[in-house]
Amino acid sequence: MLVCKVKVKETHCRVTDLLPNAQYELWVMATNTTGISPASEKALYMTVPSPPAIKERGCSSCPEAALIRWDSGNNNPVDSYTVEITEMDTHGAQCGAAEAIVAVPSCQCLIQLQQDRRYMVTVRAVNIGGPSEKSHPLGVSTTGTLFHLLEDTAHPCLSISEDGFTMFYGDEELPLKLTSMCYRCVAVLGDLLPVRGQHYWEVAVDDYTEFRVGVAYEDTNRNAYLGATNTSWCMRHILTPTRHKYEFLHDGWSPDLRITVNPMRIGVALDYDGGTLSFYNVELEQHLYTFHCCFQSYVHPCFALDNPGGLTVHNGVEAPGYTRN
Amino acid sequence: MLCLSCPFAKLSMALTQVSSNKCAGGYQKVYEHESVELQCKMKFAVYLPPKAETDKCPVFYWLSGLTCTEQNFITKAGAQQAAADNGIIIVAPDTSPRGCGIEGEDESWDFGTGAGFYVDATEEPWKNNYRMYSYVTEELPKLINSNFAADPDRMSISGHSMGGHGALVCTLRNPGRYKTVSAFAPICNPIGCPWGQKAFAGYLGADKSTWEAYDATVLAASYDGPKLDILIDQGGDDQFLSSSQLLPDHLIAACSAKKIPVVFRRQPGYDHSYFFIYSFMSDHIKHHAKYLNA
Repeated sequence: MLVCKVKVKETHCRVTDLLPNAQYELWVMATNTTGISPASEKALYMTVPSPPAIKERGCSSCPEAALIRWDSGNNNPVDSYTVEITEMDTHGAQCGAAEAIVAVPSCQCLIQLQQDRRYMVTVRAVNIGGPSEKSHPLGVSTTGTLFHLLEDTAHPCLSISEDGFTMFYGDEELPLKLTSMCYRCVAVLGDLLPVRGQHYWEVAVDDYTEFRVGVAYEDTNRNAYLGATNTSWCMRHILTPTRHKYEFLHDGWSPDLRITVNPMRIGVALDYDGGTLSFYNVELEQHLYTFHCCFQSYVHPCFALDNPGGLTVHNGVEAPGYTRN
Repeated sequence: MLCLSCPFAKLSMALTQVSSNKCAGGYQKVYEHESVELQCKMKFAVYLPPKAETDKCPVFYWLSGLTCTEQNFITKAGAQQAAADNGIIIVAPDTSPRGCGIEGEDESWDFGTGAGFYVDATEEPWKNNYRMYSYVTEELPKLINSNFAADPDRMSISGHSMGGHGALVCTLRNPGRYKTVSAFAPICNPIGCPWGQKAFAGYLGADKSTWEAYDATVLAASYDGPKLDILIDQGGDDQFLSSSQLLPDHLIAACSAKKIPVVFRRQPGYDHSYFFIYSFMSDHIKHHAKYLNA
């Protein structure tokens, strides 16, 4: 506890440079030539917190909701957070009154929104002293589904781009010690919102990358290859000496399919209510395959590479008409 | 018996209704007419979905395989519900001219009656009657468009086995005419299989260069038309697949080289029968509906 003394001649004093989110005790003593008086009663003062910082990479959205995550911005705990949401029109100007969600206990909040709108979201930290300044705003669009690749779930061999949408499996050898500790499946999960309904995203791949793209339950066994167990579903591309092979794997089983034009951009459509996971060749608007599944819980988009190469996720786009029933 | 209840049906003496059964909310009808191309009486089946009572509907043409008539598809394929749900008219013609009295026409089950192979024959004694290609691509659509609530600009085609061959050939030879095409266990490369060689030798003669115009694999290799989206289902336990009559690998190779989009699905355990067709018909109707109702 730090004690500061300020000498003043008046009966008032302006105290500045206080730390945020901190409790202060203030008291006064009078001094004359014979000495110092006893201390006055102590006044308690709580400074408001610093504003939080929204983590853009940690946020995701879908047509009817958004998950906002932020850093507290304060070393010490605060009481709660307030999330403020304002709808924006197409010119970027505010339309309608701001809505606030108060008493948010942790550094994330799932907010319900309306489809095909644009919103501005800010967060304040709150303690008994009051609310902080607003955080820097985050723009949220509810057209399509937006998520980032979760760096925490990435296999050590994978590097994720700064924007969180591209993954790359490099050629370099991992140190032996690390290899034995790694999960076998060189994969990463996407941070899809746990919201029912329909979600759509696209994956850009190339002819030479052996990939697996699909979905998996959060607790899927990371030692098993994507599609090898009943907790994951994926489209797999295999390069054989003579041709390109495509599989649609779940629980180790795939239908026997031949595709004549290799997809460079794959559309993935997830429908929780219909219980389907569909894959499309986006450039040709061609349907490739549909899994009929009964999802027991929410799934994460999953991306794996079976040999060095890369792929990029494109999302935040409206599902094209041909992907809808 | 004429269809007086349908507002779009003209009182055409050329078309006689043979039967009508209410089915899936619409009507499964069979008609008979005097065919100009085939020079004989021909029957064809038409399924009219509920939507046809009020609007023009797109048309799905189904070509049947060896030995079939217009009856097999309408009684066994189970297509009517999906057609009703998607507002699609289904037309299923017979597989060859009938009762022409041509010597040898009933000798084999894979040549002559019930085995028209969807070609326009050039050889005697077949060339006057065996013109199924022109019947399917010219005469029948004109008849359908002027007698039923059919949208002349939205048609697609499909078929089984010999009919699958017919559907692919009609599509590849008429770029842009069909909104989409699909097939069940098609004969993909008739020039290379016993069925095709027997039929083409009989209908088209010994000059094999004349056969190429009716071979989907050859036509695919030189296709230059609007983008296609071909769906093919093939039974894994199909005896004709194992006896090299169907040759899908040849078509897949040609389409891969020419970048013609195909999704070819091999269905384990399924044979060549209508039980196989029934099992995947709704997937095919859905595929067609995507393009017919776009």
